[in-house]
Amino acid sequence: MIYAGIDAGSRSIKAVLFDTSQNRTLASGLADQGVEQERLAAELFDKLLREAGLERSKISGVVATGYGRNAIRFADTTITEITCHARGVHRLAPDARTIIEIGGQDSKVISLEEGGRVRDFSMNDRCAAGTGRFLEMVALRLDMDWEKLSMLAQQSTKPAIISNMCVVFAETEIIGLLADGKPLPDVVAGVQNSIATRVAALAGRFISPPVFFTGGVALQSGMARALEEVLACPVRVAPQPQFTGALGAAVLAGTRGQGKP
Amino acid sequence: MNVAPRKLDLSGWDDRYEELQRNGLREPAYGGPLRRHVVRGKDYRLEQLQFDNSPAALRLWNFLLTENERLHRARAGGEKIVGTMKDLGTVPVMAYSLPGLRAFYPDGAWWTPCLMECSDRLLQQAEAMGVDASFCPVRAMLPAFENGEHFPKPDLLVCSTGAVCDDFSAIAQRLEHLGHAILWWEIPRRRPPAAAEPVCDLPGNLAAPKIQVDCVQSELQRVGEALGGLAGETLDDDLLANGIRIANQVRRRLGALRKSVYAAPAAPLPALEMLVAEMLAIHFCSDRAETIVVLDALLAEAQARIRLGRFSVNAQAVRTYWVNPVADLRAMNLLEELGGRICGSDFMFSHALDLIPENLPPLEALARSALADPMAGPTADRGARIVRECQASRAEVVVVSRIPGASHCAREGEIIRAMVRLRLGIPAIELEIPPVCDALLPALGSRLQALFETARARRTK
Repeated sequence: MIYAGIDAGSRSIKAVLFDTSQNRTLASGLADQGVEQERLAAELFDKLLREAGLERSKISGVVATGYGRNAIRFADTTITEITCHARGVHRLAPDARTIIEIGGQDSKVISLEEGGRVRDFSMNDRCAAGTGRFLEMVALRLDMDWEKLSMLAQQSTKPAIISNMCVVFAETEIIGLLADGKPLPDVVAGVQNSIATRVAALAGRFISPPVFFTGGVALQSGMARALEEVLACPVRVAPQPQFTGALGAAVLAGTRGQGKP
Repeated sequence: MNVAPRKLDLSGWDDRYEELQRNGLREPAYGGPLRRHVVRGKDYRLEQLQFDNSPAALRLWNFLLTENERLHRARAGGEKIVGTMKDLGTVPVMAYSLPGLRAFYPDGAWWTPCLMECSDRLLQQAEAMGVDASFCPVRAMLPAFENGEHFPKPDLLVCSTGAVCDDFSAIAQRLEHLGHAILWWEIPRRRPPAAAEPVCDLPGNLAAPKIQVDCVQSELQRVGEALGGLAGETLDDDLLANGIRIANQVRRRLGALRKSVYAAPAAPLPALEMLVAEMLAIHFCSDRAETIVVLDALLAEAQARIRLGRFSVNAQAVRTYWVNPVADLRAMNLLEELGGRICGSDFMFSHALDLIPENLPPLEALARSALADPMAGPTADRGARIVRECQASRAEVVVVSRIPGASHCAREGEIIRAMVRLRLGIPAIELEIPPVCDALLPALGSRLQALFETARARRTK
């Protein structure tokens, strides 16, 4: 049976089609988020169905998650990102004990028990400094795309210290660093370190390895390394990290469809 | 109790009030329909809340929302008004022990912008007075003192200092600089007794060095003399012992109410009304005798509902232990809308729920009670009590709420969460709830939903 998971995030919508009988992902895709969340999600969903050569009637259940989940009315049910990311990562890496998810506008640290059940979680709720929004702001300021930013960070030899905890003030600080001739790669790596420090504060003292890193920001080269340094433990980037929430939603749609809790 | 428990919005209460009146509702002088608090008092937040439908809840809300009116009336009737600040539940016990004195907490003005959805402009005015949003919302009391639109200016203003939060001290000092004389009394930070040091037991399974109890006792002696001077009568041991006895009547009733509601298989009264009721422990809502009547009515309602198996929140709701009061009352509704129920609480004044010892000299007993204040000791002591209560109440999750700017202990949330997690292994989250949280409801809701999902998943082995 085939189930769909839709993760309506703050910056993008992700969708996954999952075949429970074959225990594999049939298709996955991503689209930019916008005001008309349901229409955008439906278009993405239809696109995936076309790619997989399936009709909507073949989908046995749809679960929506993410910030905009309640706007996806064609979903059968909604489940929060915490539960979906946990299930998605557990599906990909059953030994995972900690998940760090850094998305466009928030970040989360999720502790898992053996079996993948959520033990506890923390979410940032004070500012954008520990989120992908910080990197977006830097990319915008430097007039550079996300991939180039990622490559730049790899060239850093001495990351800059970004002392401001506020993204808006940090932008001023970054302008000052660049004006002082600080190399661009070091500034970008400094921003990554700053995000990692905020996320580590969120995690507190409860990081149990293995640690998996998910969310769109996990695609940034250097972010996992920055997290490893502040957490003092290895951090593994989940396969297709931007899709773990949608995958978890699809897997949960399947387990619910089969009458399991 | 003759109708099933239901939650009503303000319009629902308009109809319910008429129905109750038709059926011969008997109300105190401060009674009336809830709607009038929006129309006359501009308590706009009430329009966003869901209330319990019982006459006992109506009485509770009317009692809460008429406090300023009743204070003005008391002043007009010749009573002396004592403003007691920061200490939670100590000085009011002393003030109400003397005839003709009525105590209230001016710092309770922090709830005014929440209830009035900031239409009172108290927070903005506080900002203009140099105390900005980085400070605790208690700053709302500064303009309230100045404009006289809320509570009457007290005849005596008493404030504890020492082991209190920095924000509060700064705000209270600003108040004094504005010309409002304050009688300060000091409470030391509670510490564990050193080896061979004489020790005093405190309520709440705590202990402190005798020297600290002596210190607080001598400070309270000074406060007592000032109160006696205001009343024109000495606050002697007999008067204070009687005041403690009546304060304990309030505490016993609250204890019984908490036990009935929190231990019941499902919640007979909603979280919102319980939060308001618990607050009565510290301030008596400016009327100690009426507090007892209000609590008796709530307790009777809760017990009747339990007896009949009629509940406000169903038995499947996730048992939630809530830490700290919320700035926006809407959060307590939200908790239940998303499938939670309160099974225990620590609203920062757990010492005021414990009985004041009646087998000790009264001032010493009160000093011991004051020193048991969770705000006067290490957060670990508070955390230990929370862990004990979570265990006893079979809590499935813990929510530590924060009020923006309030920093009585900047790291308390992390410490409490860590203790809960290590000792109980149940999930605990922190939520920051501002005075009006409408724009944040989706985010707050998402966190609570995730918490309840986690708890439900943990029910299935």
